[in-house]
Order: sequence, then structure tokens, then C-alpha cells
Amino acid sequence: MTTFSFAQDTPWKCAACDQPLIPRKMSITYLKSEFHVELMACPQCNMTLVEEDLAVGKMFEVEQLLEDK
Amino acid sequence: MDQKQLREFESHCIQEEHPYCTAACPIHVDVRGFMAFMAKGKLKDARKILDRSMPFPEILGRICDHPCEQACIRNQLDESLNIHGLEFHCVSNTSQVLKLPKLPGKGGKVLVFGSGLTAMTAALDLARKGRQSTIISSASELGGSILEIDDTILPLESRETAVQMLERYDVTITLNQKITPERITELTNDCDAVLFDLDTISLDILPADRIEADPISLHIGGKNFAGGGSLTGENFSPIKQVADGRRAALSIERFLQNASLTAQRTGEGATTTRLYTSLEGVAVLPQKTQKEQHLSPEEATEEAGRCIQCECMECVKQCQFLQAYKEYPKTLVRKIFNNESIVQGTRQANTMINSCSLCNQCTVICPNDFPVAEVCRTAREQLVQAKHMPPSAHEFALEDMAFSLSDTCSLLKHQPGTDSSQYLYFPGCQLSGSSPETVIRSYQFLCDHLDGNVGIMLSCCGIPAHWAGQPTQFEQVLTAFTDAVNSMGMPTVITACSSCLSIFKEFTDDISVTSLWEVLDSLENLPASTAELPSTMAVFDPCTAREQKLVRQSVRNLCSKIGIEIDEFPFNAELADCCGYGGLMQFANQNLGERTAKAKGERSPHPGLAYCAMCRDNLVSTGKPIAHLLDFLFPDPDVNSLLERPNPGFSGRHENRARLKQKISESLFQETDFTTAPHSAIELLIEPQVIELMNRRHILEEDVRKVIHHVNQNRSYFINPENNRRLAKYRPIRVTYWVEYSEEDSGYRIHNCYSHRMVLPEDQP
Repeated sequence: MTTFSFAQDTPWKCAACDQPLIPRKMSITYLKSEFHVELMACPQCNMTLVEEDLAVGKMFEVEQLLEDK
Repeated sequence: MDQKQLREFESHCIQEEHPYCTAACPIHVDVRGFMAFMAKGKLKDARKILDRSMPFPEILGRICDHPCEQACIRNQLDESLNIHGLEFHCVSNTSQVLKLPKLPGKGGKVLVFGSGLTAMTAALDLARKGRQSTIISSASELGGSILEIDDTILPLESRETAVQMLERYDVTITLNQKITPERITELTNDCDAVLFDLDTISLDILPADRIEADPISLHIGGKNFAGGGSLTGENFSPIKQVADGRRAALSIERFLQNASLTAQRTGEGATTTRLYTSLEGVAVLPQKTQKEQHLSPEEATEEAGRCIQCECMECVKQCQFLQAYKEYPKTLVRKIFNNESIVQGTRQANTMINSCSLCNQCTVICPNDFPVAEVCRTAREQLVQAKHMPPSAHEFALEDMAFSLSDTCSLLKHQPGTDSSQYLYFPGCQLSGSSPETVIRSYQFLCDHLDGNVGIMLSCCGIPAHWAGQPTQFEQVLTAFTDAVNSMGMPTVITACSSCLSIFKEFTDDISVTSLWEVLDSLENLPASTAELPSTMAVFDPCTAREQKLVRQSVRNLCSKIGIEIDEFPFNAELADCCGYGGLMQFANQNLGERTAKAKGERSPHPGLAYCAMCRDNLVSTGKPIAHLLDFLFPDPDVNSLLERPNPGFSGRHENRARLKQKISESLFQETDFTTAPHSAIELLIEPQVIELMNRRHILEEDVRKVIHHVNQNRSYFINPENNRRLAKYRPIRVTYWVEYSEEDSGYRIHNCYSHRMVLPEDQP
């Protein structure tokens, strides 16, 4: 299974755990489709970071594509 | 939509109908395409068009009697195109470019008696179709009547080229034959079909048992056909002879295939056309050369440039939606049909279907009333029903509707101090969201001046659900509305919104509905406006008032009463544009919505006056100075520039609606018990550019508050140690909202907001 990595260095840290973020493989879903991706997340509580570029860029494109399937 | 409905819809659109010249041409030469190339000096491409439809361009291009010119629409303006002169110029300066294929031989032996253009054309057409065709004539050369034409017009080489062409397609040419009835009987014994060219064969040697020629098939009984011409007393017409040859060839082909000789042949020969072409704005430009004169290359280019390339496109010319998708209704409906037919794969037309404003302007413009809006709206219902409607298209608008209907905004009351209503004021959700103060002032005015008690209902008419193709939701809203009016004792409903008016009139029974404008127009004591008026204003009718003539008239009467001079402009009233809100266009296609609003505003250079709150807000967003009529009738003493009052945006609308309910409840009904959500106390500090971004991204201040409230409890946010900003997310239902913010003494400063619909692992339900 192909995993697309969107992990990149980030200044954001998890406030609750006081941890710098690390790349983490995970599945994200939309409309019955599942994608294997690598995103930055907190190593302790696993909270995932989605930065603006990804949300309004690639992620939005894929959402639109899936909505027309 | 099934195939039959598709055809029915398609037939309404006349854009693909023949232009006038082509319809009048018995062999339907694409004169419009020919002219387009000639105007660019592309003679070879123009010649290709002649090669495709004319059997012998060298001959017909020189001598055609051009019935097309009489049909040319320029005749209504100055004079027709010199089509004949241009064809002459083309064939005189080019040789054959396009060589039509010869199909493989498929049997069928055809004898053609005669030597005129009918015989030549039929023999050529049949040979191209793979039939073995033989011309038999008593003449010593081919041509018949055209041999009498002067050599300066039709030189020998032209006829020679035609003979060469016949030979190239293996037509056998047998000249100098003695043709008698006996010889004909003998020759036709072992052939499958026979054609007599009446340009050169006299009727008396035709088979004795012949019947009168059928005008559609030219069949004269048995295996015999006859057509063409001048010996039957008709005037000599080269194009008629060619057309007869072509018609006979097609009949013989059908005869050889045992097919019907007459079925579905209405399109052959000269026809009428349903095309409509407007001459508005076309400059008067008579021909510069004499008809008989040979054209120089420059003259030919210039003359061809007079062709206006007839087409309809009347709806497309006005509609931003059709322009954006480069469609006219016929192609649009076909794409929608194909979209519906997709079982697996991408539905490419979803966004297009959701981008129509459903405003019906095109239908009013269309000579055949093509119902584009109905087609698009039905397609939306179909998408919803099949569970294929993209969630992002209308969810935001439907949530906005749900908010207007919720307890936070909705209200139903009799006039303060009374327990019955003769009238029920229904200002509509968008006026409440845009200008709550004018709702209060206009309500008080109605209470003071109407003869009878005036109740008030803050709610929504449900049109967003109707536009979104959600019949169940729409029905629920209408039922709630009907029940509410019933519970008030069936008062007359007064709406301030044309959309509400149109919905109630179309979808409710037994409820009496009128517009605020008609009511105000009927009153003696209009409020004395203190607002300063521009000298001339343009009333922008909303698209939903298209069928509300009395409403439009009342608005103008009111303007005149308060001293506003109106600039009437085209494409207003029953032809008015949409502002981009209609059909939820601006939600499914933001950029198109903005372009549509801009185009509406640009229809008049004068400051605008709207009586639809959405029109006003959308137009003012494009930079158009525009006020709402209620702004003048009931001006807010605190607002100076009525023409520039900003669009409150989506968050502002929510807040205005909620505050309106609260204010009316408190000031008129002394109710003070309001429960507020725990997050509503969060104070936000937002710069205008962030507000603008939030509006574009459909993120409400309410959403931002929810995010901050959610993460504050357990510090579940990210933090940037470089600037101490926080980044937090929350997914209330279907959308994950992200907010970048920092905490200040007076509240939370919002730096950025964005959202996505994809679900992260920790947000999985």
C-alpha cells in the first residue's frame, strides 16, 4: 500500500504533552475512501497536525475528487 | 431523465439549427463555415467545405443559382452576402482539396440515362457509395443544359474536371447512344435500378407503366426513378438539378437496401430553419462590389467578413453561468444526461449542475423557453436521491437555513398587546441577517399604519432546500410555515423578500400572500425619508421578481413618491440577472457567484437601489454603491453612507438574526429569558482581512468560538514557541475547523482559519 508523506519540519509543538511533533503513518478517510498518509503528530497523545497548505491544497483537491465519484 | 426527455429538451434549443443560407441551400452547403475561412483568406480550407458537400465544385461553384442569398439575414439590414461571387472566387483559385472516399463495391448495378447535372450527380454519389453506376446518353459530352453557358463563366476545363472525377470513382460513361424505349427495355433488363435525368431525357421515352414521380423519392414505379428537370417545363436551376440527382441517388440506395423510400427525409432539400439570430448591434455594411463582378482577393476577404456567422446564443450572451461552462442549453442538457448515466467513475458535471442560479433569465430570453433551471434543479434532486450530491456544495447554505429556522432566530408573535392577527409580517431570513434595524422599523410602521393587527414571523421560506434539490427538507419548512400561519388565524402574509413571495405563491394553498412593497405603495402616509438621495438611481430587480410585475411596479411607485429618479436599463425587470445567490450558486461556485454579482452591477452606471437583501449585499461586495429601498424608507440615523453599508458576511448575518429575535423579544414583548451557548462568551479580535478569509472559506465566528472553547479545557492545541501562537482544531459534525490564534487581555486574536472535511484518526466517529 502506498503511503504519501506530508511530514515536514514544523515549529508547532503539542501544548498538552510539551512534545515536538514527529512524522506518523496513519489512515485518513472521506466518503468511504481511505488514504494512507504520513503527517506530523504528537508522539505522546497522537494529536495530528494539518497545516493550511495541505488543508486548502492537496486535501481539498482530493475531497472534491471524491465528492464527484 | 430518460432518452426521450433528453430529446424533448434538446429540441427546445435551436443553436444547432442550420443558418438561413444553409437551410435554403438544397444540398445544405455550410456557407457559414465557408465564409469564416474566406474572411481569413484561407481559400483551401474554404474549398474543403465545398468539396465536402458539392458534387462538382468546379461547375456548381461557378453557376449555382444561389437561393442562399435570398435567405441571407443581412437582407434585413443592408443586402445579402455575395455568396455566389465568393464561391466563384474560391473555385477559380483552388483545385480540389478534399477527396471523399469511395466505399468498397457492394453490388447493385445502376443505369443512369441522360447527361445533365442530375445524371452526373446521381452517378457520382452512387459510385461513392460503392454502387456500379453507368451513364448512358445520346449526347456527345456530359453537361446537358449547362453546355449552353458561356465559356467565360463555365470554361471547358471545369466540365473536364467533372468528367475526370466521375472516372476516378469508376463511373462508366457511354455517350453517343441511340436511346429509344426498346433500347431502354433491353439495357435495363439486367440492372437493379434506373434513373432518368429529365434535363436530357424526354418524358415520352420513359417506361409506359410509370407513375407520377413521388416528390420525396422521385420514384416512378418499379425500379425506376426520374428527376432533374428542364424538359418537364421547369426553369433551369443548376442547384435544383444537383439536389434532384442527390435525392435520386439516396432513393436508389434505399431501394437497393429494401429500405423505405420516404421515411425520415424531411431534412433533405431546401428547408426552413428554426434558428433565431439577432441583428442587434450589427453594423450596416452594404456590398462594395457588383454582383456580376469577379472579386479580387482583397475584395473577397472583405466581402466574406460581412458574414455575421449566424447563430442564436441569445441566452448565453447574458448568462455568466453558461459562458463560464462554454455551453448552450442543448449541450448542457446532454452533459447533465451523461452525468446521470454514470454508474462508476467521475461525475464531471456535478459542479456545473450546482452552479446554475436557477434564475430563469435564459428561459425568458429563449425563443423556445428552454427550461435550463428546471433541468438543473431536477438534476440536483436526482443527485441527492442517488446519494451522489457532493456534500460541500450546499451544506453550508443548508446549515445557514437551519440556523434561521432554529429557536435562536425564529419568532412567531401577534402584534404586542393583541391576541389576533389580520396580517403577518415575514421579513425573510436575509433581510433579518443584513439589516435587522430596518426590519424593526418597517414592522413598527406596519403596526402603526395598517388597519388591523400585524403579527410577525422571523423564519425562512425554505428556498435554499428547494434550490439544493432537497424536497424532504423543503416540504418540512413549508409545512411548518403553513402550520404557523394557521395557528395565527390565517392572516395575510406580507413578505419583504421576492424569493419568499414566489415560494409561498407557488407552493402553498389557501394562504394569502402579498409583498411589503405593494402594501407600502397602498398606504397614504409613507415614512418621510431623511436620507440624502443621489440624483438618479438604478433599481436592480431581483431575479425572483421576474414574474412579479405588480411588485416591480410598486417599487417604482415608492421610488417616485420619495423622489428617487430611476434609470431603467436593459436586462432588468423580467430579464433581470441573478446576484449570484440564486440557486445557491455562490456556495457551489464562489468565483462564478462573484462574477455574476459583478456583471449585474455593471448593467447600469448609476448608484443602485435593491429591494432584495441578497442582491444588495452581494452587489455591494463587488464595489457597487447600492442601498436597499428600506434603507431610504426607514433610514438608520446612525448610518451615513447608505450606499456603502458593507455586506455583513455570514457570521454577521447569523449574529444579526439572533440579535433581531432578542431585540424584538425584549423591546416589544418584554421577554428576557435567553439561553446562550457556553462558547458564545468567548471574545474574538479579528482583523477585516481575516473576516474576509473566513467568509470565503465559509467559517463562522461561531465555529471559531467552538474550537477555542473545546481546546481550552485540556490544552489540546499546538503551540509555536517562536511567537506563542496556538493552533487548534475541532470537528463539531462534518468539518474540521482549524484556528491559529493568540490570547490577549481583551480576548483571542484570530490570525488564520481553515478547514477540511477529511477525517483524522482521532476524529473518527
